[in-house]
Amino acid sequence: MKARSIRLYYRKHRKAVVTATSGLLYGGGWGVGYLTGLDTASAAILVLATVVGGYDIARTAYHEVTNRTLGIKTLVTLAAVGAVVIGEYWEAAAVVFLFSLGSYLEGRTMRKTRTALQELLELAPDTATVRRDGRLQEVPAREVEPGEVVVVKPGEKIPVDGDVVDGESAVNQAPVTGESAPVHKADGDEVYAGTVNREGALEVRTTGAGSDTTLQRIIRRVEEAQEAQSPTASLIDRFATYYTPAVVALAIGAYAVTQNAILSLTLLVIGCPGALVIGPPVSVVSAIGNAARSGVLLKGGEHLERAGTIDLVAFDKTGTLTTGDPTVADVEGFGSDDDEVLELAATAEKKSEHHLADAIVEAARERPTTATDGGERTAGSRGSSTHRSDGATAAVREGDATAVREAEANAGARSIPDPEAFEVVAGKGVVARADGHEIVVGNRALLDERDVEIEEAVAEYVREREERGETAVHVVRDGTVVGVIAIRDELRAAAPAVVADLRAAGIETVMLTGDNERTAAAVAREAGFTGLRKRGGDAATQEVGIDDYRAELLPEDKQTAVEAYQADGHVVAMVGDGINDAPSLATADVGIAMGAAGTDTAIETADVALMADDLERIPYAVSLSKATRWNVLENVGLAVVTVTVLLAGVLTSYVTLATGMLVHEASVLAVILNGMRLLRY
Amino acid sequence: MSQTTQFRVMDFDCPTCASTVERALSNVEGVEDVEIHYTTGRVEIHYDDGVADPDTFAQTIENQGYTPQPA
Repeated sequence: MKARSIRLYYRKHRKAVVTATSGLLYGGGWGVGYLTGLDTASAAILVLATVVGGYDIARTAYHEVTNRTLGIKTLVTLAAVGAVVIGEYWEAAAVVFLFSLGSYLEGRTMRKTRTALQELLELAPDTATVRRDGRLQEVPAREVEPGEVVVVKPGEKIPVDGDVVDGESAVNQAPVTGESAPVHKADGDEVYAGTVNREGALEVRTTGAGSDTTLQRIIRRVEEAQEAQSPTASLIDRFATYYTPAVVALAIGAYAVTQNAILSLTLLVIGCPGALVIGPPVSVVSAIGNAARSGVLLKGGEHLERAGTIDLVAFDKTGTLTTGDPTVADVEGFGSDDDEVLELAATAEKKSEHHLADAIVEAARERPTTATDGGERTAGSRGSSTHRSDGATAAVREGDATAVREAEANAGARSIPDPEAFEVVAGKGVVARADGHEIVVGNRALLDERDVEIEEAVAEYVREREERGETAVHVVRDGTVVGVIAIRDELRAAAPAVVADLRAAGIETVMLTGDNERTAAAVAREAGFTGLRKRGGDAATQEVGIDDYRAELLPEDKQTAVEAYQADGHVVAMVGDGINDAPSLATADVGIAMGAAGTDTAIETADVALMADDLERIPYAVSLSKATRWNVLENVGLAVVTVTVLLAGVLTSYVTLATGMLVHEASVLAVILNGMRLLRY
Repeated sequence: MSQTTQFRVMDFDCPTCASTVERALSNVEGVEDVEIHYTTGRVEIHYDDGVADPDTFAQTIENQGYTPQPA
C-alpha cells in the first residue's frame, strides 16, 4: 500500500523529483570537488547528476530525432553528451539541471494559464432535477431534453439553458455574463447553465442542455480564440523554423574554424528561440482567459492585437447607449382625445415589428378605457398628460381593490383591432387603413413625403419633447395630424462614465443614430459626448475631423460613417447589438456586440462579444487590448535582447554552457510570467 | 469511419515539444489528422476507427514524455 502510494506520487511528480535529485547531485558533486579536491569522485557524482536529469530529456530527444524534428531537447542532449566527452562534467550537469528546472517551472506556469478555462468548464453541474411523468427525477444534466422542466432549488447551480416558467429568484450570472450583481429572474426570463440560483426555487423550461448551452459555446469560442495564432506569433514561428537550423549550422561552422568545443556546444544550448516563440501566445492566451471571466469574449489574438490600436469608438444609440426598452412617455391629442390617438396609432402599428411600435401597442393595451369597462372612464387617463401609469395604479386611486383586479385583467385582455391594410416605410413609419380611414404614424420625413401640414402647435410640442431626448411620433388621420406620441428610451446609467473613460484614455467617441437631430443631440449631451461638434460645422470640426454624434442615419449610413472614419485614418470600433448593426459591426476594424448571452450569432461572429448589456466592459476591453499589445512587445523585446546578448556572449567566449542555459531558461520564465500578469489585469 | 477524439496535455513545456507529439501521433497508422495547441494543451486526433486503435493514442503521448488527460 505504502509502496504503491509512493509510486503514484513519483509518477505524478516525476519531473519535480528528477529535477530535485539532479540538483542535489549537482550541488554534491560540486561541493566534493571544491572541498576535498577528490576530482574523480566529484566527476562521478556530476556525471550521475547528468544521467539522472538527462534521461527523460534524452528519451524525448530520441523521439524528436525519429520524428525528424529539431527540438530543444535534442540540442540539450547533444550539448550535455558533448560536455561529458570533453571532460566538462560540471558544465554537463549544470546544463541538464538548469534545463530540467526551467522546463518544470515553465510546465507549471503554463498549466495555470491552461486551467484558467477549465474553471469555467467545472461551473456547470452534472445532474439536473427534472419533472418527468409528474415526478421529480435526478438525471445527468446533458440528458435533459429541450422542453422539459427542470427544478432548481435555492443555492443550486442551474444545469441547463432555459426560460423561467415558475418561481422568482435572484440569479448570480457572473460565470456567464461577468456581472457581479445578481439578476432578478421571474416568469419568462432567460437563465443560463452554470449560473447560481440564490434565493427562491425556480422551474425552468429547457431550451438547451449538455453541449448546447451558452456556457459551452463560450468555452468553445474562447478555446478557439486562444488557439488562433496572432499575426505576431505566426511571424515569429516562421522565423523560428529557420533560426534553429541556422544556429546549429553556426555551431558546426564555429567548431570547424575555431576547434573550440565549448563555444559550439553553448551555441547548441541557446539554439532554441524559446522566449521569442512562447512570449506572444502566452500574452494573448492570458488576456483572452481574463476577458472571458469578465464576460467579454475576444475572437482571437489577431482581433486582440487590432483592438489594441483602436482610436475611435462609435456607439449605436438605441439599445446600446440606451436600454432599448422604450416606453410611451406622453400622448398629446390635437383636436382629438389622447386615448383615441393612442388607439389609432396602436391599430396602425400592430403588425409592425419596430421597437417603437411595440411601445405604442403595449401602452394602448395597458391603458384602461371606457371601451372595456363599459361606463365611466377610469381615473388616471383623464386630464393626466403622463400616461405611463397602468390600469392598476389608476384603479388604486379609486380605492377599490376589486377594480384593481379587474383593471389588471383588462390590461391583459384589452385588444387592439387589426388594420385593414398596412405598409412599413423603412426608417420613417407606417401607413395603414382602419375603419375606412387612412392612418399615418411616423416622423416628419414621412409627413413631408405625404404633404401633411404640420401646425405650429404640433411642431412646438414635438420640439419640446425632442429636446428632452424623446422620440416624437406623429399620428395622422386622413391627412390631418390628430396627435403626437412621445417615446422615451432611457440612457443606460453607465453611459456617461464609459464615454468619459474612453475620452480620458485618448479615444474619440461618436454616437450614430437613426433618430432625428434634436433627440440625438439631447441624448448625446446626456451621455457626455461633449462639445457637440457637428459635421460641416466650423473650422474646429474640420481640424478634429470627428462628430460627436450623427443623426438621421439609415442602417447603411452607419456603415458608410464607419468607412468614412476609417478613410480618415482611424482604427474604428463599433458598438452595437450584433443584429441590426451587423453590417457596421462587420465593417468596423473591431465589432463589439452587446448582450451576446442571448444571441448565438453574436457569440460566434463578433470580434468582441460582451455577454451582458454592460457598457462598462468596453473601456476594460479596450485597455486590456492595449495592455496585451504592450505585453507582446515587451516579450518580443526581452527575447530579442536576450538572444542577441547570448549570441554575442557566446561568440566572445564570455558565456559558456551553464550560463547560457541559465539565461535562456530565465528569459523563457520571464516572458511566461510577464504574459501571465494579464490574467490578473 | 472517421472519428475524432480529444486529450488535454497540461505539461507541454515548449512549442516544439507539442510538435514532436503531433508528429508521433501522425505516424500512428489510421490517424488522418492531428491538431495540437501548445497554448491550451488541447490535442485533437481524427482517425479511421477501422484501422487505428484509439486506446494507443494515450500511450503514444506518454512515450513522448507527456501526460495525457481525457478531455
